[in-house]
Amino acid sequence: MKKKLLSMAIGAMTLLSLALTGCGSKDTVVIGSKDFSENIILGEILSQLVENKTDLKVERKLNMGGTFINFEALKKGDIDLYAEYTGTGLTAHLKMDVITDSDEAYRVVSEEFEKQFDISWMEPMGFNNTYAIAVTREAAEEYGLETCSDLIGVSENLVFGAENEFFNREDGFEGFCDLYGLSFKGDPKMMNVSLKYQAIGNGDMDATDAYTTDAEIVKYDLQVLEDDLNFFPPYYAAPIVRNETLKNHPELEEVLNLLAGQISDEEMTELNYQVNVEQTAVDQVAKGFLESKGLLD
Amino acid sequence: MSTLFSLTIEHMVLVLIAIAISAIIGVILGIICYWVLYLDKVILWVVDSLQTIPSLALLALLMIFFGLGNTTLIIGLILYSLLPIVRNTYIGLTGVPPHLKDAAKGMGMSKLQRMRKVELPLSFPLIFSGIKIATVTALSIAVIGVLIGSGGLGYPIYRGIQTMNFGAIIKGTLPVVIMAVIFDFLMSKVEYKLVKRAK
Repeated sequence: MKKKLLSMAIGAMTLLSLALTGCGSKDTVVIGSKDFSENIILGEILSQLVENKTDLKVERKLNMGGTFINFEALKKGDIDLYAEYTGTGLTAHLKMDVITDSDEAYRVVSEEFEKQFDISWMEPMGFNNTYAIAVTREAAEEYGLETCSDLIGVSENLVFGAENEFFNREDGFEGFCDLYGLSFKGDPKMMNVSLKYQAIGNGDMDATDAYTTDAEIVKYDLQVLEDDLNFFPPYYAAPIVRNETLKNHPELEEVLNLLAGQISDEEMTELNYQVNVEQTAVDQVAKGFLESKGLLD
Repeated sequence: MSTLFSLTIEHMVLVLIAIAISAIIGVILGIICYWVLYLDKVILWVVDSLQTIPSLALLALLMIFFGLGNTTLIIGLILYSLLPIVRNTYIGLTGVPPHLKDAAKGMGMSKLQRMRKVELPLSFPLIFSGIKIATVTALSIAVIGVLIGSGGLGYPIYRGIQTMNFGAIIKGTLPVVIMAVIFDFLMSKVEYKLVKRAK
């Protein structure tokens, strides 16, 4: 009796696990995203657009760990597409040097991804979410900071902190300090990307890296310093898709390119603001955006 | 989007599947530790080391081999749950009083019979408490599953952190805590009964 119960329980659990794993069918497109609001919003926009314009089913894998996990999953075919940034493609995936011209950067990543990874870049969606260095209003006023060069000679008085990824990138902390010849007070603080603005808001640090479309720049009244030596490469966002997926569903390319040039810097900041500051649900924000652009049937 | 309730159920099912499998593997490994001289150190060392790998690193590594989603999370949870189960099985089996083992031997029981009829039943309370510890731990580790695209309560919790929405963080965390407390309470009751019966 006991044994029967046990084997029944194991059987039921195996069945459940199979059901949960859910083998994706052929007419399903899996859309991924990285683990920060902007990329999740883009993932949701892409998902709703595909659902609306095609007969395909969409499985959302939004909010997966950073760049590494999404790109590995895309290469393996666990996801079919996600929104990537040209600068990340160039430095993180291709391990190439920074290209400051945005058209040239896009041309290089699309060519190399095609060759090396069998992955296609769709048209960029319009905005450039590059890195910038942001300082607190107090620090900006005390030292008269407007450009990154203004940090020379005063950075020793400022505490710098950023998400872990910023310290591991070609175009990250080390390269930035080398180019401008800076050293900050003490060891830089490293933390989860979501806690960065909280930390600068609490006064735990004076300077951090910001993404130029971050809503928190407005919320915490930070001063963004102009990158006068052009250290940070352009980060134009575009959907990247497996070629195999495009072959199976050729209609996808046209649908994804409906977003080409549709989202300006200001519009992206506004969408981020709605989610991060006004706490509106991501699917509503995505829907509102697509409707305002007349992209939903 | 899925409701909090369905995410909670999914979270629980993922953990229970992992624990069920881990319990089977863990007890078998524990018995091997007990039976095979020298292997005990190796096996215990391996399960000890598994525990020291940061959970996100382990999941990212597993993802490369097993892909995204629930299966990978379950495998990760199984690996994390092994330590308390293997260790408690091993301690339980070695702790069976020698005179009882001798008595069983004297009755002409084979090695397998002794395990099934004497040693395993006597160690069961300790094994069960290992499973209890593993279950409660797995409930909280499963939260990071979202980072490799699996289901459960990770999504609302991480979204709460990302948008600095404390209400959302608490709403996602509370079901995890409640489940952990309930499981701990119920399993402790069973454990108490088992220990009492064993005496």
